[in-house]
Amino acid sequence: FCLSADIISTVEFDHTGELLATGDKGGRVVIFQREQESKNQPHRRGEYNVYSTFQSHEPEFDYLKSLEIEEKINKIRWLPQQNAAYFLLSTNDKTVKLWKISERDKRPEGYNLKDDDGRIRDPSTITTLRVPVLQPMDLMVEATPRRVFANAHTYHINSISVNSDYETYMSADDLRINLWNLEITNRSFNIVDIKPANMEELTEVITAAEFHPSQCNTFVYSSSKGTIRLCDMRALALCDKHSKFFEEPEDPSNRSFFSEIISSISDVKFSHSGRYMMTRDYLTVKVWDLNMENRPIETYQVHDYLRSKLCSLYENDCIFDKFECVWNGSDSVIMTGSYNNFFRMFDRNTKRDVTLEASRENSKPRAILKPRKVCVGGKRRKDEISVDSLDFSKKILHTAWHPSENIIAVAATNNLYIFQDKVN
Amino acid sequence: MLGRGVKRKLSDYDESMAAGPPGPFDSSPALPYPQQRQLVLNMCLSKLQSCCLKVEPSLHRSVLLSNTLRQIQGEMLSEDCNTSPLAVQSDGNSCNVDINPYVGGNPPATPAHIPDLPPLPICSQAEEANLMTVLSDNGMPSTISSHLRVAGFVKDMSPPPAFPSWAENEELDFFSSSSSSEDEGNDRPAGSRSLDSLFGSFEIPNSTSYLTDLAFDDIFEDIDTSMYDSSDFTSVLSFTAPRSSVSPSEDSLKPFSTCSSLSTNGTQIGITDLNDLDHIMEILVKS
Repeated sequence: FCLSADIISTVEFDHTGELLATGDKGGRVVIFQREQESKNQPHRRGEYNVYSTFQSHEPEFDYLKSLEIEEKINKIRWLPQQNAAYFLLSTNDKTVKLWKISERDKRPEGYNLKDDDGRIRDPSTITTLRVPVLQPMDLMVEATPRRVFANAHTYHINSISVNSDYETYMSADDLRINLWNLEITNRSFNIVDIKPANMEELTEVITAAEFHPSQCNTFVYSSSKGTIRLCDMRALALCDKHSKFFEEPEDPSNRSFFSEIISSISDVKFSHSGRYMMTRDYLTVKVWDLNMENRPIETYQVHDYLRSKLCSLYENDCIFDKFECVWNGSDSVIMTGSYNNFFRMFDRNTKRDVTLEASRENSKPRAILKPRKVCVGGKRRKDEISVDSLDFSKKILHTAWHPSENIIAVAATNNLYIFQDKVN
Repeated sequence: MLGRGVKRKLSDYDESMAAGPPGPFDSSPALPYPQQRQLVLNMCLSKLQSCCLKVEPSLHRSVLLSNTLRQIQGEMLSEDCNTSPLAVQSDGNSCNVDINPYVGGNPPATPAHIPDLPPLPICSQAEEANLMTVLSDNGMPSTISSHLRVAGFVKDMSPPPAFPSWAENEELDFFSSSSSSEDEGNDRPAGSRSLDSLFGSFEIPNSTSYLTDLAFDDIFEDIDTSMYDSSDFTSVLSFTAPRSSVSPSEDSLKPFSTCSSLSTNGTQIGITDLNDLDHIMEILVKS
């Protein structure tokens, strides 16, 4: 039994990998911190424990449309650390918030006019001046909202991305992308607008967007028709004209009623190097060279055995699931989720791939994950699972990879799994 | 390490079918293409209809659904236009509609406009909105039996239709308009409304009396309209008492508001609205 409010909706490591943030359907953010190395318990290095929990978004009501606005956190993005505090952006469908997470381990004691309990002292008893002194206290982690970026999106926000200039960020909804200054909440610049003059002609929406990791003028956005547009903000204020247009020609032999739906890109991520980008559609992950627009340089089948089951998946709405994808720190391995709590990793160099499962039944803490295999026909071997036994309600949509080490975070419905390379 | 999945042969697949519920035509790949298409059309429509939730529905999902719907409609229209028997082709490329992958900023090629379609009534409110119903060409006796088959098949598979053998050979395309969704969305039972029945099947053009009992207003009142901007859409729906999806003869069904003549022959209905229908059809096929 799982409360729907606990369903994890986003996972993100910070730039050092020391912190891991998760957002859930109930609007909460939970931040985990990696245990520091300690001589007493060397094997505990690398464990992530809860560091802070706070309610980021609350459900709202749009009175104009008489509809609820979900508090579900769609995305979290960390800002690079510039002082002792940590900052992250979290967003639901409509509003982006900048949160400051800071530690407090001292508190002032000895106020002149107040008791230590906080009660006002009787003025007649005050005969001397007492200056508060900072005393140590138990560590307390506080999260405070520092900025609220609201009222800029008519449609549902699907992506936020911090620019490499660390001054601006963008938020993308189904039809528009806005550029914000982190300091300014009452103004944003619209940089992409694909809303047609006549909404009847709408056939394509924006599905994901991301800034280039090092070129602060460059960003990409993906669409529901399987295309990616790379835009340069120096060229135009309104980036309706793309600099590059990435699309793979459709394979006519694979055409079906659902071709367009499965071509819809659910996630786009630049490689750390900035030379490549990766896109995830329903059945595949593709790696693109930014210099080659007409086709990807690599295509990986995530779960091609689903291709013949598309009608069922359409019926139960699974075909609309939006899977994310991630690079490892060196851009040599890519990872994405699947159904039945499976997730897949593809090594780009060796061309080997593995299917792993995130579930409590199959793995104890510190046990080594066993590769899984889906059997697609004929006789099923022991340990294999047949396509029809897959549990489509157990989907891994959100995963994250530590920026430099082989530590991954996998969100399976309401559970978070953290896996790492075995330490010898 | 693991190898990649083995390509599945059809016979292997059939053998390996386990207890898990297979999809409607995943389990019978031999299903004729028109029936597959009909099935997808029905699901598409019922999904679009059931978008009325308390939370704003996903525009992404709605656009994908309506694109699929449009694709299927285009196929059907072009097939009807060709007056050829519905050929059963499993690869999905049987239609003459050139559906190109979306390239650059150009929209995909659209199905040929069919100017001589008999019109269907459209309530006056719908003129400004983007609801329409299209009657395909009626002069195809060779396809009647296939339509019958389709109707019969779909009756089994789709949610219980209110009009078991709906009179018209119809396709419906609609985009939701925004303004009136709030009232509908909050007190709507999910999915089991008239829209299911409306699109339960493709029907023969000239039969039964069901069409006369239809109330277009009621049919479309479930359509969620909140996903688009509310600025320039008028409400296409009038609000009627909720009605069950069982019998066409209920009192709450309203006659067509703009029909000057109703008859049991569906082809005569709504001729007065030919111009409006053409206009809307033009928008549809050219978009």
